[in-house]
Amino acid sequence: MKTIYALAVITFKEGIRNRALFGVAFLALFLFGLNITVAGFFMRDIGKVTVDMNLSAISFAGLLLVFFVGVNLMGKDIDRKTIQLVLSKPLSRGQYVWGKYLGILFFVSVSLLLLLAFSTSTVLLVKLLYANYFIGFSFWLFWVAGFFVLLKLWVLSAIMIFFSSLTSNSLLALIFTLSSYVVGVSIEEVVYYLQTELAGQERMISDSLVSFVHVVSYFLPNLAVFDFTVEAAHGLPLSLERLILSFGYGVVYAVILLLLASFVFTRREFN
Amino acid sequence: MRYWVRALCLSLALLIYYNLFGVVWEDRGTVRKNAPAAYILPSEFTRVLAFGQHGLLSDFLFLKTLTFVGGRSQSDEAMAEDDWLFVHKSLGVITDLDPYFVDPYMLAEGLLAWDARRPEEANEILRKGVKYRDWDWRFPFFIGFNSYYFLQDYETAATYIMQASKLPGSPEYLKTLGARLAYYGGKSKTALLFLKQMLAETDEPLLRRRLAMRLEALEGAVQIEEALDRYHEKRGQMPERLGDLVAAGYLLVMPKDPYGGEWVLMKSGRVFSTSKFAESESGH
Repeated sequence: MKTIYALAVITFKEGIRNRALFGVAFLALFLFGLNITVAGFFMRDIGKVTVDMNLSAISFAGLLLVFFVGVNLMGKDIDRKTIQLVLSKPLSRGQYVWGKYLGILFFVSVSLLLLLAFSTSTVLLVKLLYANYFIGFSFWLFWVAGFFVLLKLWVLSAIMIFFSSLTSNSLLALIFTLSSYVVGVSIEEVVYYLQTELAGQERMISDSLVSFVHVVSYFLPNLAVFDFTVEAAHGLPLSLERLILSFGYGVVYAVILLLLASFVFTRREFN
Repeated sequence: MRYWVRALCLSLALLIYYNLFGVVWEDRGTVRKNAPAAYILPSEFTRVLAFGQHGLLSDFLFLKTLTFVGGRSQSDEAMAEDDWLFVHKSLGVITDLDPYFVDPYMLAEGLLAWDARRPEEANEILRKGVKYRDWDWRFPFFIGFNSYYFLQDYETAATYIMQASKLPGSPEYLKTLGARLAYYGGKSKTALLFLKQMLAETDEPLLRRRLAMRLEALEGAVQIEEALDRYHEKRGQMPERLGDLVAAGYLLVMPKDPYGGEWVLMKSGRVFSTSKFAESESGH
């Protein structure tokens, strides 16, 4: 446990030292600023637009962190063969995988909490400017939605660790993770679309495609599960059951991937 | 020396860029003006292509639709059939992406029902609002209004107004209005009540102006109708011409039709204007 923690701390420090962080922070600040300007373009639902833009900005910045900083944190070790050095220490390969993941987790969480703090002040500012247009808005819902953006990033980090343990090329790991993300955010829509299409009379889609999508939906995470933007934007009631279910789904999915990653990583040969 | 050459090249390039910039933007302006209404993907695809950012995409598409309509009205160009189709489809897609988003519904009411005179299409979109924002009385109210005012479907109107009257925050008089609709659907006074509420609910300048104008016209019609009722009560018959009302002292002056038409007495006892309360085409 101590070794895992030590590795996690090192990974975290390496992460926050990355120069790309400034770029991401700058971009996020720009997006928050943009929000203040754009909000006035709308007639009534300024609160909704503000929440949409803020959560999207947080999500986008978080994705950049995972894809450009996070991927390097594990991939670089393997790419540059420094992994040999690390593994020569009294540290099992399984511990290495978990340590790296926890480090990325810290890094992503701390960065996202900072972004959320900035974002909250933006929302507060817009709320002060257009107080009448924030009916039904609650900061609790906004923070819940923000937390689930973070959970989404945790899951993505696990996917990234998994692919990094498979390939020795960090670019390849990045591409796989990115593809998983793209499929993950849209798979739910596709599955439901196919269902409605089949319910109708038009059967233009082959059965094999439908079963393929069905199989894919088991392997890849349904990232729409972590999307609470609509609820936060319109102040709709959230059931505790859905929150627990989404949280459990994310955690279990990440744990499975990490177990698989440590399993693959233990058996892997580096040359 | 080479430094100066480089600096000269750069300033030359900047100069060309500056000139080009203006030309390109101007050209884009003409391209956009002449461009047919953009194609909008059906919501099944848009929802997938949103990559999880449904809310953000709905905001963007809403702004795009707003800009499109604004651009047409700014260049004094009438909206073509295709343009309205685009607006209708876009608003449909936007409300599919985020069915709780209020603005597109309001735009549907203002544009599709009032400007385009396509109340069925407005109602189709508004019904989605009724389904999702089931606590919001404005949506059934708007459908009721459109059914009453544009479609003369008093039964549907009464149903929706009754539905609106049961929702929290709805004005008290909606209950009476709903009941009244069922009996006196065709009377101008019913329309007057309706319009007053519409005006209170609207903060869009263009729609407000239209509503106010319509209200003025209807107030005139109601005045004449009331005078007609008094005339009928006293004399047991309808006057031959509306001018008789003024001559006989039931009306001080004949109210003006803001649309510029002449008042006509219909055989049914209703008052109508030759303008049909339609604004002249120019400028709108």
